[in-house]
Amino acid sequence: MDLLQASAVSKRYGGIAALSGAEFHAAAGEVHALLGENGAGKSTFIQILAGAVRPDEGMINFDGAPFRAANPSAAQAAGISAVFQELSLIPDLTVEQNIWFRHEWRSPLRMIRRKALREKTLELFARYAFPAIAPDQEVRRLTLADRQVVEIAKALARDPKVLILDEATSSLAPRETEWLLGLATRFAGEGRLVIYISHRLQEVRQVAKRVTVFRNGQTVAAHDTASVSDDEIITEMLGRRMERLYPERRDTATAKLALKVRGLSAGSRLRDVDFDLREGEVLGVGGLQGHGQRELFQALFGIGKSRGSIELWGREMTARGPRQALTGRDGIALVPEDRRGQGLLLSKSVRENLTLAVIPRFSSGGILSARREKALVAEMMTFLRIKAKTPDQVAGTLSGGNQQKVVFGKMLLTEARVLLLFDPTRGVDVGTKGEIFTLMRDLAAKGYAILFYSSDQPELVHVADRVAVMQNGRMAAILEGAGISEDGILRAAMIEKH
Amino acid sequence: MTAADVPATDAAANRRRARLIDRAPFLVACVMLVVLLAVYAALREGVFTLDELNVDTAAALTLILAATGQTIVLLRGGIDLSIGGMISLGTVLAATRFGDTLAGSAIWTVLILLIGFGVGAINGLLISVLRLQPFLVTLATWSILSGAALLILPIDGGSLPGAWMSAGNATLLGLSTSVWLLVILFVFWLWFRETRLGLTIRATGSNEKSAFLSGVSLTRINVATYGLSGLFAALAALYLTTQTGTGSPTIGKDYILPSVAAAVIGGISLFGGRGGLAGTIVGAFILTIIGNLVFVLSVSSYWQPVVSGVILLVAVLASSLAERSARRSLT
Repeated sequence: MDLLQASAVSKRYGGIAALSGAEFHAAAGEVHALLGENGAGKSTFIQILAGAVRPDEGMINFDGAPFRAANPSAAQAAGISAVFQELSLIPDLTVEQNIWFRHEWRSPLRMIRRKALREKTLELFARYAFPAIAPDQEVRRLTLADRQVVEIAKALARDPKVLILDEATSSLAPRETEWLLGLATRFAGEGRLVIYISHRLQEVRQVAKRVTVFRNGQTVAAHDTASVSDDEIITEMLGRRMERLYPERRDTATAKLALKVRGLSAGSRLRDVDFDLREGEVLGVGGLQGHGQRELFQALFGIGKSRGSIELWGREMTARGPRQALTGRDGIALVPEDRRGQGLLLSKSVRENLTLAVIPRFSSGGILSARREKALVAEMMTFLRIKAKTPDQVAGTLSGGNQQKVVFGKMLLTEARVLLLFDPTRGVDVGTKGEIFTLMRDLAAKGYAILFYSSDQPELVHVADRVAVMQNGRMAAILEGAGISEDGILRAAMIEKH
Repeated sequence: MTAADVPATDAAANRRRARLIDRAPFLVACVMLVVLLAVYAALREGVFTLDELNVDTAAALTLILAATGQTIVLLRGGIDLSIGGMISLGTVLAATRFGDTLAGSAIWTVLILLIGFGVGAINGLLISVLRLQPFLVTLATWSILSGAALLILPIDGGSLPGAWMSAGNATLLGLSTSVWLLVILFVFWLWFRETRLGLTIRATGSNEKSAFLSGVSLTRINVATYGLSGLFAALAALYLTTQTGTGSPTIGKDYILPSVAAAVIGGISLFGGRGGLAGTIVGAFILTIIGNLVFVLSVSSYWQPVVSGVILLVAVLASSLAERSARRSLT
């Protein structure tokens, strides 16, 4: 008897069908992967389970009874907890206040019992062997990875029968990813259900016994994970065979230096970093999360104060700041970490987002030329194959992959030839990932110089010409040729050097 | 970085440092109050006496009560301009309706408090149901309430029962009614901030969407938040009548911006989620002592807003610097 049965579930948003007759069956005691490209309907489906969205049609049976949750609290009360990508934590509350928010134990005077919060938090952390996080720390001080961990704790605190993990490992370091996979297995082992959503097939294989694949709002397949190959799963997700995820690596690097960095330091997180980036090269940046990669990208783009020398195409960069960095063909452009917060104005159109940084390119004497803007936008949308109904569609309504393409377009329109890509494939579906890698190699072949950080090690191994590994704010090693491997990156990142 | 990546003692030291930075705006406010008191004491005899405490608290308490409501609203991430109208209306109603009987005073006290809560609750409803900006909604209700006050009593006047006035200016164990009220207010706050409602208001101000996803009803929270603000405005009005002995249809506007200033000087963030009533009380006393200083120095009373403005800038600068240094050390 399945714990969760969903049949013929449909949901439309205006004229667009997000789900049309999706099926999903999962039994207690299993980790069940739900796969699909962005826009396949996974998010809508789990939002229905989590009570955030109501279906138009269909039947959902949960634990032997019809399931209908009016809001997230009702779904949680029924026993379904979701860990969303969009974090639901309150920045100014502490870890323990967040975990038990609105479920606090109270004294006869209706005051929250702080001691109970602490005890129950430590109990929960111990039960699932959580990574060390101080319960009295305010969430706004935590790294993205730690926030994700707290979000998981919050979901577990409701003692659910079904735990939904939506891209929960996308911001976790390898060690925490291992922990989470272990947690999922253990949770399922307690006779409960984990619905696991990830773009990383390796993880899915490691943890999930069953896999259901969605495409265009419908269920296209459901099988035992062991009985299908990665290729078959990807084919099911895309509806066609994908040639290959990673493009062929061509050595397009020239001897010309695009970026020469010496002694770059910023605060305590970036110390005395030296490296060269050549024209036509993709230089990967690896290492454990939080070891200075973010600070390196920010310092290069001119965010915050930094010391040391940065030579761009042979010229020392003196005045620093995004405005200086973005000066035409000799500039630097950044694809930032947080697409929704830093990369895009979500409530503005695709057109406005694309041209935000390059208004001078289509204005003269302070007057904007709508015609020239339109031409730039049309060109870029075709080039990157951005799937939007019109250039005036609001960016926030696009799928994650298409949003990221808009960020790329915005960056390419600046004509800068030194590109800083900070985790550009995070939360992006596998089809778009392939397109992004191909684009990167094509740009390199045209003489662009690319600095590429990824939290997904295999991407560095397969896409970068060289990989610079960071440790405690320093460059621990620069790997080349045959030296580039996941193992090599991890070794360089973990072995202490003084 | 996870806590495991840095030595535990480092993490604890970092946390302590972060806490200190968080409290910096409040600490700066305390330092400013101490400095002002020192200057005041240098200019005048008997500053550190119970009498002076009684007098200054009486002078500050109306602002403190109004600013308590404002603090709750600011923690929610909003702003309440309508307290100006409510305070005027409250004094006018008290001065015209109390009459001479105890029963009349008691009934109207309760009614005024109910009106205060009700008007605030309507603010909250308008903000959440119609999805309007708190600034605009409360600007409108301020105007409506001020007009209502003027319709009831066009010029300052009316009267209050003698017993009402003496209750407001009595002394118990050497401390005046105002000091006792302040103590009760603070005890209330110590309780309120530990309740689920108190936490939820702060949480909603910190991040509305996250709070909503965690099951908070924004309508209910707004009704409670602005309702409490209206209630405190009514309390401020009632207290004010014990000091002035009259109703004034225009007096409320003098408390709108100072209530925000007191809170901000005390370290409440205008973006919601951060700060507490202790800061607001310190802020209100700072503004009051500035008034005293201007009086003692016998310079034009128009210096008072000038000095208050400078103090406000210093306070805002302090919290901004604290914020920046927090970001530098902890990103």
